[in-house]
Amino acid sequence: MDKLGAIFTQLLNGFGFTLGIFFFTIIFSIPLGLLIAKGRMAKNKIVSAIFRVYISIMRGTPLMLQLLLVYFGPYYVFKVSTGSIQVGPFNYRFIATVIGFSLNYAAYFAEIFRGGIQSMPKGQYEAAQVLGFTPLQTYFKIILPQVVKRVLPSVTNEVITLVKDTSLAQVLAVTEMFTAASKLASAQVSVVPFVVAGVFYYVFNGIIEIIMHSIEKKMSYYQ
Amino acid sequence: MSVLEMKNIKKSFGDLEVLKGIDLTVEKGEVVAIIGPSGGGKSTLLRCATTLETVDSGDITIAGDVLCASPSEGAKSVYCDKKMMQEVRSRFGLVFQNFNLFPHFSVRRNITEALIHVHKKSKEEADKICDNLLKKMDMSSKADAYPCQLSGGQQQRVSIARALATSPDIIFFDEPTSALDPELTAGVLKVIRELAEEKMTMVIVTHEMSFARDVADKIIFMAGGVIVEQGPAEELINNPKEERTKAFLAGY
Ligand SMILES: Nc1ncnc2c1ncn2[C@@H]1O[C@H](COP(=O)(O)OP(=O)(O)OP(=O)(O)O)[C@@H](O)[C@H]1O
Ligand SMILES: [Mg+2]
Repeated sequence: MDKLGAIFTQLLNGFGFTLGIFFFTIIFSIPLGLLIAKGRMAKNKIVSAIFRVYISIMRGTPLMLQLLLVYFGPYYVFKVSTGSIQVGPFNYRFIATVIGFSLNYAAYFAEIFRGGIQSMPKGQYEAAQVLGFTPLQTYFKIILPQVVKRVLPSVTNEVITLVKDTSLAQVLAVTEMFTAASKLASAQVSVVPFVVAGVFYYVFNGIIEIIMHSIEKKMSYYQ
Repeated sequence: MSVLEMKNIKKSFGDLEVLKGIDLTVEKGEVVAIIGPSGGGKSTLLRCATTLETVDSGDITIAGDVLCASPSEGAKSVYCDKKMMQEVRSRFGLVFQNFNLFPHFSVRRNITEALIHVHKKSKEEADKICDNLLKKMDMSSKADAYPCQLSGGQQQRVSIARALATSPDIIFFDEPTSALDPELTAGVLKVIRELAEEKMTMVIVTHEMSFARDVADKIIFMAGGVIVEQGPAEELINNPKEERTKAFLAGY
């Protein structure tokens, strides 16, 4: 039982990093995704092409590779040493992980948002326009709230995938939960740490599903 | 002074010339009905007047404000600046065939949102205007409902209230009852009739011939991008002069 207790505390430590990667990625990738969606829908063909290429590269190559590039890129390409970078409690390993995840997830979110925005009937824009709303008011008051409702199920899917993807941070030796579980498993020659880690992920996703479901329910007052 | 003046309006979509030089003047308190076959350019004309489409050439003046004008006869029309555009938009209301209410707003918010955030009225003022309009539309009990909880006829009455809220000088209707079941059109037509009695200036595109005859002062028959015939409502419906008008009316 002691042993299980030790596994639990060690994984809990790692879980802090997992949570960190998760929340920072959500915070950065969703607004970034909106901007990329805007860029992708730009009338200017060159701008739109640039964002299309960005999205296709981010979705078409492994996230693990992108993480490695963000981590090693500054040094090998620009000869910038990243070893001493420290923002509050976060070293560059962690920061690179968050940057890599955010850039990657922003691409997925961008495509979801674009689908949502393009599914909005033209009449909503027209009604807003003749009532005198500015384009910015139209976007934030009329369009975005309806888009949020439309994209919520797809966003939930991505968020759940993100929880599991955080385990990829181990390639940068960030001691998030999965890395901690791997270390424990080899030290103890046991699969129990993996099982416990699995329970953590599962419970975390369970909570996310409950939260997202309640948001969806809140928005079900119309349509 | 006329509330709406459209002069020699031309508009093409690519190679398709949809408006071939339309002149339309609407006086204060006048109700003008526009009738005509499908594809004749009625909606396009309304959309040009309401800034949803830009004309190629011609002049549009609404309540004295110049929306656009051709520098010389037939030359490309020049539009006013953004500020003037907002000014012009506050002068008219538009009622769509399919309502285009904001589904995520309650009936009250659909009506008050522009009052508060475009016309800078206080919440109290806006609510008062909204309550009065809902009463007029026979919709007082539905202020807190959402559009999806209303029938088509009720939704259209809310959208008329929304268009009226900002006290426009003129209201445009594009087939306000075409998306409604027959038993729901009566309520909407009644509301428009009442507005006509109050001398609201209106331009109504409609397929309801008897309604047009009863409510309108003037009827315009439009086909193939031109005004084929126009005149006092009774006269145009009962004694059309042009062959095309006769043929069209024979179908009703
Ligand atoms: N955005 C557009 N792009 C290209 N063509 C268009 C566009 N809008 C309208 N048209 C064309 O212009 C012509 C006139 O259309 P419009 O909608 O003004 O006719 P209408 O008189 O309102 O017809 P209906 O009675 O069916 O509503 C049609 O041939 C239509 O296909
Ligand atoms: Mg039409």
